[in-house]
Amino acid sequence: MKLLLVEDEPALRAVLLESLRPGGYVVEVAADFAQAYEKIKLYRYDCVLLDLTLPDGNGLDLVRALKADNSPAGVLIFTARDTLEDRIAGLDLGADDYLVKPFHLSELNARLRAIIRRRQFQGQHHIVFRDLLVWPEQAEVLVRGEPLMLTRKEYDLLLYLLANPDRVLTKEAIAEHLCGDAVDAADSFDFIYTHFKNLRKKLQEKGADNYIRTMYGVGYKLSSE
Amino acid sequence: MKLLAATNRYYLALAAVLFAVGSGALYVGVNHVLRHEVGEQLAVRRHEIEQQVRAGRPLPEPPFESGLDVRAGPQPLGFSDMLLRDTLEHESVPHRQLTFVVRPAAGPPVWVTVRKSLVETDDLVRVILTTMLGVLAALLGGAALLNRWLAGRLWAPFQHTLGALRSYDLQQHQPLALPTPAIAEFAELNLALTHLSQRLVADYENLREFTANAAHETQTPLAIMQAQLEQLLQLPALEHDPAAAPLLAELYGATRRLSRLHQALGLLSRIENRQFAAAAPVRLNELLAEKSQQLGPLLEARGLALHLRAPAGPVVHMHPGLADSLVHNLLHNAIKHNEPGGDVTAVLTSNYLEISNPGANPGGDPARFFERFRKHRATADSPGLGLSIVQQIGAYYGFGVSYTFEPVGRRHVLRVQFAPPPAP
Repeated sequence: MKLLLVEDEPALRAVLLESLRPGGYVVEVAADFAQAYEKIKLYRYDCVLLDLTLPDGNGLDLVRALKADNSPAGVLIFTARDTLEDRIAGLDLGADDYLVKPFHLSELNARLRAIIRRRQFQGQHHIVFRDLLVWPEQAEVLVRGEPLMLTRKEYDLLLYLLANPDRVLTKEAIAEHLCGDAVDAADSFDFIYTHFKNLRKKLQEKGADNYIRTMYGVGYKLSSE
Repeated sequence: MKLLAATNRYYLALAAVLFAVGSGALYVGVNHVLRHEVGEQLAVRRHEIEQQVRAGRPLPEPPFESGLDVRAGPQPLGFSDMLLRDTLEHESVPHRQLTFVVRPAAGPPVWVTVRKSLVETDDLVRVILTTMLGVLAALLGGAALLNRWLAGRLWAPFQHTLGALRSYDLQQHQPLALPTPAIAEFAELNLALTHLSQRLVADYENLREFTANAAHETQTPLAIMQAQLEQLLQLPALEHDPAAAPLLAELYGATRRLSRLHQALGLLSRIENRQFAAAAPVRLNELLAEKSQQLGPLLEARGLALHLRAPAGPVVHMHPGLADSLVHNLLHNAIKHNEPGGDVTAVLTSNYLEISNPGANPGGDPARFFERFRKHRATADSPGLGLSIVQQIGAYYGFGVSYTFEPVGRRHVLRVQFAPPPAP
């Protein structure tokens, strides 16, 4: 899985790189528009992660260039510009998703996985994790071949965990993923707690024990051991 | 009281006092002059009679009963007033009389009283007074009317300026455009106000730009902070250190709060900047349903029932992002300030959207709930911008946003009126 990360801010670039590598991706970086343009003209990527505001150009022009070349690469835009117009412009040009800075790394991971799933396998891609088998297209979850009945939110939650295995997910990130951006973090902890309790119980009933670990005071983690 | 009315009142009071004093003086003066005149006439008559008597002629026969009175006994001498009955008109008529003694050459002295009716002088006084008072009253009334008319005319530029000031809206980003009236004071006032508004607009623009830039520019460092904190949280060492992880998590939460605050401020600033020109038809009932589904987990976690009474509902022309924000903030507010086991009721009609929930009486001035950073509880995590955003969006589209607390059932009611309510 080859990714191109276009971000001009060195510190952010570094931390994004660090967070993407454990996912098993090959990540290349471009620090400005010219570099990025050269790379997308020369190489093929599975997904381009793109900052819109670049010192020497507009990231939207990179999306245009990719589309002009009929590139199969997915495009995930992240930017500090959060007006609806920017969002629409980006998505209209053919970007797959749009994240507003600052975002949770786990959210970036989840969206990136969704893009890759859609692009590469036309949705017919299954996720295997320990005893779990998930068919995202049918929203079907199997534990050792047995179907697991989940509510919509529980399923979303599980998918989010699966996109970030072995990664501590903060309560804020989970709440915002489930409930949309503008929810006050303080409001949302109690409902996350309930969802986690239910999801854990359902997994446990099917014999999938100890998948979700609570990190006290921080959040949760999907453990692969 | 209006300035004009106040000055007018003083002028009119002065005129009324002068009028009263003048009437009195006029009456006394004219009366005095006329009585003096009658006195002189009586004195002349006395002189004539005395001469006549001295010349040895008899006292003249009185032409009228009342004109001359001759008595043998002593009478009080000098001028005096008396009332005599007029046999013809059957009324008492005031007379001025002069009594004196004449000593004819033969015989004892007699006391002669000459009289003159004051009826004519009374009439004269009346005519003079009536005329004078009429003229004075007309002058007074005329002055009052003229003043009022002039006031309306002269102060028209002032009223115009006042009207312009009253309807002035800084968020239009336009300085006041005031005409230069002919009257110097008003021209100066308008000039000063125009300068003031220009400075205000410039300052406001600077501030706005600063806020927008600050909000935008801080997003990148915030993103770095947040991402690095998130990475720090992944360190395996943290699993063995129960003290460090919550610290980091708290830091991480704080950066999220900061970025939410920035987003809210940025949104407010953009609404004020009128950066949401594009409007599209928005189906509010669909939006309501979508938003309540999104906030479902919150409702569930708090055990709140949601009642949506939104039939087909109106289609409003709004920026979709702002419509989203409006509905979200209203619902979220109702969830946040609710009671355990309470409900959120949203009623949508073609005229208004009303969202209500039970809760304790907040007390205080309802208008202040819309102020920025106004919090329900001082320690609450939210920056208290939700209702400010609702109000700004309302103001942007000319919707009336109002908050009331209904003591019956103790409900908070927030209503967004799409069109101005029909006149009662």
